[in-house]
Amino acid sequence: MLLHLLVLAPFAVALLMVATSGFDSKSTSRIAILFGAIFTALSIRLITVGYAATSPIEWFTLPGTSTTLYYSLISQGINVWMVFLSTTVSLIALIAARESFGNNYKNFAIGIFALLGAMNGTFLASDAVLFFFFFEAMVVPAAILIAAYGGKDRKAAAMNFAIYTLAGSAPMAIALWYLLSVGTGSSAGHLFMAYQGVSAPIQTLLFVSFALAFLVKTPLFPFHGWQAQAYAEAPAPLSAVLAGAMSKAGVYGFFFWVLPIFGSDSSMMNLMMWIGLFTAVYGALMALRATDAKKLLAFSSMGHLGLAIAAIFSLSPTMIPAVLVLLVAHGLSSSSQFILTGVAERFAESRELKKMGGLAARNPVFGFLFGFACIAALAVPGTAGFIGEFLILLSLWQVGPVPAILAGLCLILSAVYMLRFIQAVIFGKADKVETRPCHKISPFDAAAVGVLLLLLVVFGVRPALIMDSLNGATQDEVVADMEDSEDVF
Amino acid sequence: MIPLWLIPLFPIIGTIALTTIALSSSGSKQGPAEGVTGAVAVFFPLLSFVSVLVLSLGMPLEGIRQTLGTWISLPAFQVDIGFLFDGLSRIMLLFVTGITTLIAFYSIGYMRGDKSFARYFAYINLFLFSMIILVLSDSLPLTFLGWEGVGLCSYLLIGFWHADAKNSKAGNKAFIVNRVGDVGFLFGMLCLISIGGSALLSYDYLNAWLLNPVSAEMIGTAMPLLSLAGILFFFGCTGKSAQIPLLTWLPDAMAGPTPVSALIHAATMVTSGVYLLARLSNLLVLIPIVLNVILFVGLLTAFWAAIAGLFQNDIKKVLAYSTISQLGFMFMAAGVAAFDVSIFHVFTHSFFKAALFLGAGAVIHSLTGEQDMRRMGGLIKKMPWTSLVMIFGFLAIIGFPGFAGFWSKDLILEKLYVSGPMGPFLYGGALLTAVITAVYMGRLIIMTFFGKYRGSAEKEAHIHEAPATMLIPMLVLSIGSAFAGFLWAGLIPGAEIFREMLAPVVGAAQAHASSAHAAVHLSPWVFAALGTLAALLGMFIAWKLFMRPMPEAKGDGEPEGFRASWTFAFDTLHKWIAVIPTKAMAWFLDVVINNIILAAQWLTMGIIEILGDGVRSLQVRKVGLQMALSLFGMTLVIALVVIYGGLL
Repeated sequence: MLLHLLVLAPFAVALLMVATSGFDSKSTSRIAILFGAIFTALSIRLITVGYAATSPIEWFTLPGTSTTLYYSLISQGINVWMVFLSTTVSLIALIAARESFGNNYKNFAIGIFALLGAMNGTFLASDAVLFFFFFEAMVVPAAILIAAYGGKDRKAAAMNFAIYTLAGSAPMAIALWYLLSVGTGSSAGHLFMAYQGVSAPIQTLLFVSFALAFLVKTPLFPFHGWQAQAYAEAPAPLSAVLAGAMSKAGVYGFFFWVLPIFGSDSSMMNLMMWIGLFTAVYGALMALRATDAKKLLAFSSMGHLGLAIAAIFSLSPTMIPAVLVLLVAHGLSSSSQFILTGVAERFAESRELKKMGGLAARNPVFGFLFGFACIAALAVPGTAGFIGEFLILLSLWQVGPVPAILAGLCLILSAVYMLRFIQAVIFGKADKVETRPCHKISPFDAAAVGVLLLLLVVFGVRPALIMDSLNGATQDEVVADMEDSEDVF
Repeated sequence: MIPLWLIPLFPIIGTIALTTIALSSSGSKQGPAEGVTGAVAVFFPLLSFVSVLVLSLGMPLEGIRQTLGTWISLPAFQVDIGFLFDGLSRIMLLFVTGITTLIAFYSIGYMRGDKSFARYFAYINLFLFSMIILVLSDSLPLTFLGWEGVGLCSYLLIGFWHADAKNSKAGNKAFIVNRVGDVGFLFGMLCLISIGGSALLSYDYLNAWLLNPVSAEMIGTAMPLLSLAGILFFFGCTGKSAQIPLLTWLPDAMAGPTPVSALIHAATMVTSGVYLLARLSNLLVLIPIVLNVILFVGLLTAFWAAIAGLFQNDIKKVLAYSTISQLGFMFMAAGVAAFDVSIFHVFTHSFFKAALFLGAGAVIHSLTGEQDMRRMGGLIKKMPWTSLVMIFGFLAIIGFPGFAGFWSKDLILEKLYVSGPMGPFLYGGALLTAVITAVYMGRLIIMTFFGKYRGSAEKEAHIHEAPATMLIPMLVLSIGSAFAGFLWAGLIPGAEIFREMLAPVVGAAQAHASSAHAAVHLSPWVFAALGTLAALLGMFIAWKLFMRPMPEAKGDGEPEGFRASWTFAFDTLHKWIAVIPTKAMAWFLDVVINNIILAAQWLTMGIIEILGDGVRSLQVRKVGLQMALSLFGMTLVIALVVIYGGLL
């Protein structure tokens, strides 16, 4: 029931929001935030439940195959936290959006709830076609929201984003269809068996088709062309959702689908690790040169997720908790950074780093939160980011010194660009924004971001809160579990 | 016995309280009430100091251990949050909490009227918390938490006056250079994990493993990795303790408020590298090659920084280079496996260098921000107490007989001669550095307190003796500079309490190291006499060179010409081997690679658009053809799947 609620109810709420008033954005926002909070509460409940699966409901039989597809959801150690991220970050976005959109709030909320349902579906689906359905469905509300609420290049950004990601996952659709036609079922385990049965060149082709979808979505070098623009043009609350939650879909896809199906192809796994590492260094160096605050965050996000991908494909025993903690930490810190950058953008009326500055003196509460968020993002021990990055370093070290050294380089570079970012936004003379009326960050926004930042510290001191969800379960057991549950029904 | 976690608990409560005060008062014009804020700021460090004192008195010889819980718990990686209070952490904690309390007290006077009064003390309390964790932790990962924590506080406090971009840049530099060292620390831990799993990260377990004869064979096979771990940990220490090659951040760190320079960048944080070496003494004595690296790096740093100290006009910069140089002495001691001596010098140095910095702070405060010694002079008449404190610190740092620095430096020199490889050579180098120390410190004292006042008249009218809140901590520290050395006075039989307190921690390692050397017997009086001569010679040179009318000050006081090349040698090195390659790489990726990708993207999008347009025109006119085309496409895909798929 919980799983169904988390996936389907957001769509229902989105429909409900259509009925709310478009002119009284205050009451609309109250309803939206209330529902957002309920979903967050449900996701926390899901974390405490841990393993759960719905009884599969027959969906349809794919033409050209003998495979019956099911609407079936499953929760395990990793995806409960992804759902937690998507609900929490959506809630924060709904809170922060009150300041920005006025009477347009209603439509923004509709989009966010639709996106939330699609994200939860992506994370919870145990059927490959269902997963793919939700994976594609995410693009629509996200692209519409960018096109409707973004900055001055919003149309181009939305177009780029939509075409890029849809084109990226088109080969996967065909590859998935192919695998279903040779196989007997649509879980990761079945697909793995189907994959085992085909010839080597086809195997590679299938891998490339699957990987491409996630390479684009995460994104990894060289398929990141859409990202910086989309994150920068999207309104800050949406950027927070894109970076904090939706970007995890790509990583999750690698982890939950690519790894179980194609994990035996060690040369491809190795290649993916190097792509991840290169992306990490690339993202960090690009962030170093960024002149646009949100593009800097976009590249920073890309760098961190590159590290996560590298860790996944290191296939080290410590990799699963490492990636899980890093993703949670990154989700919390990048979304709070985007929200705060949105506030700074409102203060300075520009995204250009050159035009910002002096906000710590003008608005100390904002300065505190912003500084805190950035410090947490550069993985200082005591925050969750450190646990994630240290375990990733450990995972890569088990592969060899060079991957670990590259990851260590990223640790240094992230300090360089984050400190530069702090300096550009909150330090320096306040005169750049002096002429404008003094804005304050609203207490509600501050409290919402404050909770995220507090969570980063709590998880940094007691990472067991996250890692206990794994409870010793390995990827194999998850897959085996899924097969069992399907055999029963 | 009170629990160990009380020691870090107090300053973290202080941090939270002061942050709350700082944030809640941020809307008001005047800022928070300074009386209450100051009281809170001193109270929590003081409580921490008292708990350390209580624990110290009742500590059993083998120390106190407490585990609070697990931090990271994985099948392959297990770290606890645990504390270890033994001879080494006792001494470190006593002076860390004590001096922090004193300097917090001093800061109430120094920071009076600053808008960010509460924020300043929140940082100081957070620093104390991190430093306590660093010292009190029973494992390397938890030490690392404190290690980066103190670096973070150092960053926050260097850039404290962040309206000036110069200050925040200095803060950034400190953090980034330290991060480079920290990555070395992380990799050191990774090496240890590769050797014996994460259990080796616990100090107790590591020592037990190293000292156990059973593991000798395993140690033998792991020697290359063990040496690498040693080098990497030392690399981490060069960052935190400002040694070659990562020392460039410390002189810039003087941008922070002067009490911060005294506390963090002289007395406590920068000595954590020396602490870590002592903590890892059992590991280091097994890898003599690393010890030799430490020894020579220490000597080079001490000598280089002493020369650089001669070239500075900024009073705080002189003290900064002097700190680097003194840290070099401590590393030299560690390099000849005299870890107890190195900690002893940390201890005495914390008194006299803090006294010197606080004295300099009082001078700067009284001259309303003037830091250029060429615009000082003759202050002894107007600030007699401050001069007295500074002169005590001066006598201690140059090693004048009886003062604290005399005893600790004398021990270092003696150990260098007795147990170093090429002992006499090292001894000569260190003794020469000691002479230079006396010269640049003499120059500082003469230019500041003697001769005629050379600054502007309006500043002269403002000159006043420091207020009591500032003077009391200074006097306490100057008493320490005079007498702290008697805890281990090598010339007085039996006066070696300090050595005995450290013996349970570093004794085994030092016994192991000294068994490798043939003992050289020379009377300690010879070393004492030579050390005294060096101090006197340096003072004489300084008196001859600088006790004369000075030319009028021009420029901003930054060193010029060959002096600048010497002073900024390592900045130049960093620029060429790290900054420029990184920037070039980033430029290449951004301007070349990224544009290629964008071009490919536009090309693809363009083609799609043109095709789309074509299809759209088809669509308008010939709906049937369009339908047929898409049906054909669909059939093709289905056919391919069917032919190559499962149904065949």
